[in-house]
Amino acid sequence: MIPALLAEATPSFAWKKKLGNWRTEVFAGFVGAILVIPQGITYAYLAGLQPEYGLYCAIFVTLFTSLLGGSSMMSGPNTAVAILIGTAVLPLAGRGSPVYIDFVFILCMMVGLIQLLFWILRGSRIFQYLSPAAISGISAGAGFLIIMASLDSILNLSTFTTTFFYEKLYIIISDARDLISPYSLFIGLCTIFGGFLGKRYSHRYYIIIAVCSGYIAGLLVSFIWPQPVTELEYLGRMPLQWLPVHLPAINIEYLMTSIRLIPYAFTIAFIGLAQSLVIVRELKMETDQEIDLDKEVYAQGMANFLAPFFSSFVGSGSFNRSKANRSLGASTPLSGIVTAGFVLLLITFLGPILTFMPMAAMAGTLFIVGVDMIKWSDIKHYSLVRSELVIYLATFVGIIFFGLATGIVIAVLLSVSVFLLRISQLELKVEKQESGTLLKVKGALFYASVAHLTEKFQSHFGEDLTVDLQFTTHIDQSAVDFFIRESRNMASQGATLSLLVNDKQRQFLEDLGLSPNIKLVSLAEGVSLQPA
Amino acid sequence: MNAIQTSLRFILALFVFFAFSSLTAQAQQGQPSIEQLLQEPFLDDYYSNVVYGYEIVTDTQHFASRYVGNSLNCTNCHLQAGTQADALPLNVAGMYPKWRAKNGKRNGIGLRIRECFLYSMDGIMPPDDAPEVLAIAAYVTYLSQGEVMGAEPEGRGVPTLPETGYDPNPANGRAVYLEHCANCHGEQGEGLGGMPAVWGLDSYNRGAGMNRIQLAAGFIWANMPYGNGRSLSHQQALDVAAYLNLQYRPADPRESRFLKLLEDLLP
Repeated sequence: MIPALLAEATPSFAWKKKLGNWRTEVFAGFVGAILVIPQGITYAYLAGLQPEYGLYCAIFVTLFTSLLGGSSMMSGPNTAVAILIGTAVLPLAGRGSPVYIDFVFILCMMVGLIQLLFWILRGSRIFQYLSPAAISGISAGAGFLIIMASLDSILNLSTFTTTFFYEKLYIIISDARDLISPYSLFIGLCTIFGGFLGKRYSHRYYIIIAVCSGYIAGLLVSFIWPQPVTELEYLGRMPLQWLPVHLPAINIEYLMTSIRLIPYAFTIAFIGLAQSLVIVRELKMETDQEIDLDKEVYAQGMANFLAPFFSSFVGSGSFNRSKANRSLGASTPLSGIVTAGFVLLLITFLGPILTFMPMAAMAGTLFIVGVDMIKWSDIKHYSLVRSELVIYLATFVGIIFFGLATGIVIAVLLSVSVFLLRISQLELKVEKQESGTLLKVKGALFYASVAHLTEKFQSHFGEDLTVDLQFTTHIDQSAVDFFIRESRNMASQGATLSLLVNDKQRQFLEDLGLSPNIKLVSLAEGVSLQPA
Repeated sequence: MNAIQTSLRFILALFVFFAFSSLTAQAQQGQPSIEQLLQEPFLDDYYSNVVYGYEIVTDTQHFASRYVGNSLNCTNCHLQAGTQADALPLNVAGMYPKWRAKNGKRNGIGLRIRECFLYSMDGIMPPDDAPEVLAIAAYVTYLSQGEVMGAEPEGRGVPTLPETGYDPNPANGRAVYLEHCANCHGEQGEGLGGMPAVWGLDSYNRGAGMNRIQLAAGFIWANMPYGNGRSLSHQQALDVAAYLNLQYRPADPRESRFLKLLEDLLP
């Protein structure tokens, strides 16, 4: 057990042999770096932190995940994770203050530890129960939250909190003239317009086009009106260090307060791993990469655990960057490693230019990202199956009214209960035969599904019954008890119950002590199994 | 189960009580000094912000570098981290909000701090809820304890020099500068060995308060040469201030926007 875990924990570099064209990987890494810079900055804003923490996340979480894992997934700053960090820590301390940052790092360490626990307990299977509709619903809900958060910066509202989104919209609309800064609105609109125009020409780089148009609009505004008049918010110089080693402050007072963070830590750990694993599973199915899901869970967990020691917050796999990475032909972790290096280089050289990046332009790109996350095609796709649509819509509505954490709980509960409902359903088929009634049972026979059998038994009360168990996947004690009880009832009416079983089931039933009233009929090896 | 939880909570509450009792005991006698606060392993939100504000004031280049455009620190003008009288002390929280002619607005302490970043630090104006601004505001409040609300604290700002009867003379100022100031501030005003630059692109810009000759002369007379204040005559201080005012320094962000752009983008 432990040697196997250790073998999984050491970086393998097995991809080195499969490395085809390193130029492709490096170029994909370069594009990844360009894409991740605006995302890191804006997600740091969502998490309530200074921009450099988002960039450290883009550097170190990406680097560690790629080094330790074996897939071409692009990890790093992630929207849902960033929003959850903000919701968790903002009630505890002032945005961006030293205590706030300490709490964020404690939260991140908890997330990393929980994800490592998932790895040791082989928990990656749990995420298969989260239905794709729930993940799309969470993504759409997060998109909505991003749009609402981006309005703060686009309209240059001083941050005010409202319970529900419609209150915020009402306040914005009713006090538009006092609240909204026209300069900031102009820059934000230019960014959004640039983004939607750019999307027509380049599906890959439109975020960059949006950022550039916002930056130019910002220069135009600052050229006509000075900053004391516009009061525009700028990104500012980023004090980026090459090795920002940071020892998280841990003491008894912090730990006692951070008990309140534990539920959020579990939510973040869960949603982060869920997204990473969806990406990894897709890569595993659609490419020929040798991917071990447990190793990826370890890579993500370890990267998140190490993140606070390098002044960065936690991340997870990113859908859009992984997609861009794949479409550029990258198939090894090298592109992720290269991305981390390019982020560092680009920020070092772009620093003076980025200083005058208006936050309204950054928020404009957030708005575009948010709009992209709410897909009409998703709703159409899931509307075909009613249960999927219910999961999708319930998750979405739960998130926009009660926040991301509640929405995720709703999504998990709904997908698990749909899964349980499905699995407890039996497919029953009744055939009249000379020897009596034949009942074919398809599905798992356990305490939750036995009730379905009861109805059939009652409607054929007093007749000889043969139950065909060859398509039954699982039989448990309560089902056997049920058969014993029913056979006794039937025996009192002079009817017999026979069970058609295979060898394994016969063994199992005999071990559990069948009453003599039940006739076990073995299926001969040669008999062809006809579908029920 | 419930009994265990309640007793656990009780023990936790006891822990919290004892942990905070050291701080509250000090608070009752007056507030803890900065040195004491720096020793504490854990601070609540207010005091951690006070310490952060103190760190920003003493090492602006490191702790608030996001909004700073030159090589100065707050404490270069607000001497002794804003505690020295006649050297623009920071114990002025009781005087805000007040109307200021500079921007023609009612200024809260937040806007006052933000404008310092824009002019004296030649940087960009932080947003009003920036953590740095809130931390400095907490530090200013901390320093202002014991002052009378609304009244001017003793030694506020810099002393106003009396009329000397002569105009400021930059040529004489140059001689005084080379004799008394150039040892630390450099012949080209670049600042030697950690001393602040007094002109050039690494210094305060044309919109800063120090760019006014009267104010600069008052500051120089009261505090310069550093550690040997009030040794120059009034006229010498005025001459040096006039000399400094003639030198090249970053443009006023309210006026020369093209120049400002070039200064910012071409390092």
